[in-house]
Amino acid sequence: MEFLSQTYVALRGPTGAPQTPSDTIGRLSDRLSPATLLADRRAAVLALKGLSRDCKHDVGDLALPGLLEVLSNDAEVDADIGKAVLETLQILCDAEEGDAASKELGFKHTDYVLANEKATHTLFALLGDQNFYTRFATLQYLSTLLQNRRQLVQGYFLKAPTGTGSVVSVLEDKREIIRNEAISMVQALISQSPDIQKVLAFEGAFEKLFNIVMQEGGIEGGAVSSGALACVDGLLRFNSSNQSYFRETPLPPVLCSLLLFPPNLQLRDPAPQEFALQFWDAQKQTNAALAVGIMGMLIGSKGNSAQEASAFTRCLVEIALASNAPTPLKTQALRLLPSNLSFPLSELTLTPYMPVPETNGEEWDRLEPASALDVLVELALHGEYNGLEGGKRIKDELELRTAAVAVFENFVRKEETRQAIVQAMLPSDVAGQSGMPPMTPLLHALTAPPNTVSTLDPASVTSTHLATLLFSHLLRSSSRVKSLARLITPSPVSALPDQNAGTFFVPADGPPPAPPPDVADDDEPPQTLLQILSENLSLSFLSRSRASTSDRESREWDRIVVGYLCLLSQWLWEDPQSVREFLDAGGLGVLVEPINQTTEVDTIVPALCAFLLGICYEFDREPGEITRATIYPILNRLGVDTLIGRMSRLREDERFKAVGPDAIVLPYPTVSYLQPSLRAEAEDEGEVWFDWAFVDFWKSNYYTVQRGFSTEPDQLSSSASGQNAEATMLIASLRDVIRNQSQEIENLQRKVKELSASNGDEVASLKAEVSSLSAKLLQSEEKQKDVEKEQEDLLVLLDEVTTKRKKDKARLREAGHEVSEDEADDDGSDE
Amino acid sequence: MAGITWHYVLKFIITGDAAVGKSSLLIRLTDQRFLLNPDPTLGVEFGSKLITIPEENKIIKLQCWDTAGTESFRSITRSYYRGAAGCLLVYDVTSRKSFTNARSWLADVREHADPHLTCILVGNKVDLCDADAGAKRREVSTEEAELWAQEEGLLFVEASAKSGQGVEDAFVKAASDILSKIRRGVFDDNRSPGVKLSKPHTNLTMETGAVKQRCCS
Repeated sequence: MEFLSQTYVALRGPTGAPQTPSDTIGRLSDRLSPATLLADRRAAVLALKGLSRDCKHDVGDLALPGLLEVLSNDAEVDADIGKAVLETLQILCDAEEGDAASKELGFKHTDYVLANEKATHTLFALLGDQNFYTRFATLQYLSTLLQNRRQLVQGYFLKAPTGTGSVVSVLEDKREIIRNEAISMVQALISQSPDIQKVLAFEGAFEKLFNIVMQEGGIEGGAVSSGALACVDGLLRFNSSNQSYFRETPLPPVLCSLLLFPPNLQLRDPAPQEFALQFWDAQKQTNAALAVGIMGMLIGSKGNSAQEASAFTRCLVEIALASNAPTPLKTQALRLLPSNLSFPLSELTLTPYMPVPETNGEEWDRLEPASALDVLVELALHGEYNGLEGGKRIKDELELRTAAVAVFENFVRKEETRQAIVQAMLPSDVAGQSGMPPMTPLLHALTAPPNTVSTLDPASVTSTHLATLLFSHLLRSSSRVKSLARLITPSPVSALPDQNAGTFFVPADGPPPAPPPDVADDDEPPQTLLQILSENLSLSFLSRSRASTSDRESREWDRIVVGYLCLLSQWLWEDPQSVREFLDAGGLGVLVEPINQTTEVDTIVPALCAFLLGICYEFDREPGEITRATIYPILNRLGVDTLIGRMSRLREDERFKAVGPDAIVLPYPTVSYLQPSLRAEAEDEGEVWFDWAFVDFWKSNYYTVQRGFSTEPDQLSSSASGQNAEATMLIASLRDVIRNQSQEIENLQRKVKELSASNGDEVASLKAEVSSLSAKLLQSEEKQKDVEKEQEDLLVLLDEVTTKRKKDKARLREAGHEVSEDEADDDGSDE
Repeated sequence: MAGITWHYVLKFIITGDAAVGKSSLLIRLTDQRFLLNPDPTLGVEFGSKLITIPEENKIIKLQCWDTAGTESFRSITRSYYRGAAGCLLVYDVTSRKSFTNARSWLADVREHADPHLTCILVGNKVDLCDADAGAKRREVSTEEAELWAQEEGLLFVEASAKSGQGVEDAFVKAASDILSKIRRGVFDDNRSPGVKLSKPHTNLTMETGAVKQRCCS
């Protein structure tokens, strides 16, 4: 201390006059020159350090060149002066703390320090110093510089002769504080610089970082593990060269092991319980999320071996579907599954777990094994752990369920898969017995009639809504699947609330509860799925308009209606057969009413109704009771402008606008200002309205529908254009021809029938006539014979008479009587 | 399959002027194919291959970093020398300039690399000066290159990434040289950053056996 005060006295000068700080700093700066003694320089640096906080500007202006000089000359030699100068520079360049001016100064000083590469190279050289304070302060200072001017430092680093080696060696430092500081410095250093990422990987940074993670206890290892894993992530992300190097190392399976998942698990072997059931805290969750993120990145990038990808995919699937991992981690795992999912979900058997009630998550029940696909659908429909928390609609929980829906969407991307799934919902006619169609959980949730008796259960609304999302993924733009789906005739689901509430069945619980034995209405043909949906829609509309419902409940009705409408829109699109069936089921009336009644609050339901009505009109191309000509006047009465206006309001609605490809869960209640009485019941309650697929569908097709409103009933579809229009025209005309021809054929056939019928009669009568005639002929022939005989007899008689007469005449002549001669010549020709 | 899949992991770098065919050599080695129009390498790419050294009966895993020959990346390339066990110094036999520049590349290597690094001089593109008429003229004779290699204590081979001639040979030669250095005790495992025994000296041993099997595919 005496030394210091002496220095001060010396500096103050003999006059004793008050000094300005800049005078002092100027003098101290002079003392930094190499000409002074090392001890003096050290004292000067310490003094400047003391002043630097309060007089950042002056110290920077006057002392910075000298300090840098000291840094490069003395820091290596004398640890004390090294520490002091590094700390002073740290204060001068700090742009984190203080007011705006101080931050500005921090950047200015940083720029001065980084004006050339010398200081940076000195710093990287100092990293090699074993002295604790030198190393530590250097790391801190480098972090600061990187934070202020990252790219500049990175550029110098690549040219530094000893850069990489010393950076990697500090990662190996046994002293924890230094190692931790090194991790955070490396994180900044590798950021967005593929070259640095590669050179560090080359120097063995992966091994060092994984060593740190293992020493810290894996993902249980607190913030240090998390920093090291973040570094690994930084080295790999967007860097294909490092990814292929990383795959060469023995490290990828370690990622699985970190999560306690055996990397060599065969597909048929179950995952061990110590993996599925772990104790979780926030820090472990962060660390696990980093490991899961790296796995997801490696699955997604090309060039990975099939074995590695399948181990990682399996691990992610297990985390998401059959573990007690925190919900956000499960969501992350599902989202990281690649979109061209080739993993055999239906072949993998999982063992889901359920928390034992009242044990605070410490005891778990093992459920029956089920296929991963079933568990996935179950998760989407009912939420984690069989809908334990399904009614609360926590945002995280909804994120997980919608992520499951998205995985399902990717899984059914191939048309064959969709066909197979829908086919399985049809009644099977194996061995001639076409008994009850199978009731899958998806169908059950989809067809469950809305509870119109008591208040609506939010859990069942969500599951019906998510079921409509799942089912539309199956149907979307596949006419073959749509026509298969038309054949689905689900067994009736009891509307009784006590049967629905709470009895979510799990595939694991064996087959779904047997449908109620055939009730009396056996004579009615079973309802098709489409009919059930339109009926449920109509029921929901009725309950929605009940006056007694609260704002909150009517919002739930809106949600369920939106679910049905979205599914139906996608189903009926480009499918005249389904339109016909929907219209025959009374769909038209259901749609028209809500379009007419609108309130300020209610914009999306009328919009969707108008949209669906437009689709019905557009694709009402099958002959039937309700034709385009029937709908057209209704459209006109509603007003085409009104319809378009209703539709356009959907695009303005926050619930529609806020939906993105990865963000379909919205905070509850979205657009709250319209309904101030709505308030979230739980702290982070969320809600789902639309999925991205529908938003996309709407955006690509709403215009077609709008144009369709104003086409005449006999006009061609407005959606057709170009070559397509020609084809449609051709098809239409061919259809006409066919229709005419078939009609003609029908007529002709009728005629043939008539003719053949009348012909038969005629033949019979003719036959009868012939027989009667031949009988008559026979008779008359006989008569004739008799007559002839008689005639002969008569002739004989006549002859006799004539002979007798001749004799008599002769006798008379003999007797002398006059006898006419001519008579004798006539030979009896007259009497 | 059983047991150890490789005995040593050796880190190699490939260096030399731009457009002498460094990336093509690497791809020929790892993928057995030839790139017709490779882009100039930006930064460094990575490839690896297992080779067998019959005399030693050892299996070697070569990890090769392909560096950028463009001048602007030279400082980055230097960062790699220190950690490598072997270096392929490539020139183009139809380009005098690339051979002359090899001297400066060698100077770089000598300055930054481990003194025991094995360096092999590779004359690439020999396919271009096959006997056919109209072929590009060879500008560096085999004898001259061989002589220079001897003077500098380098191994030497001529190769063609296009035909594949000499490529694996170059790596095998260099690897055997490194192995003989190891046998003579020039390296000890801790001091040469480019050589690793198959047994990881880290404590990441939990899945070692499994890893070995996986990587040979």
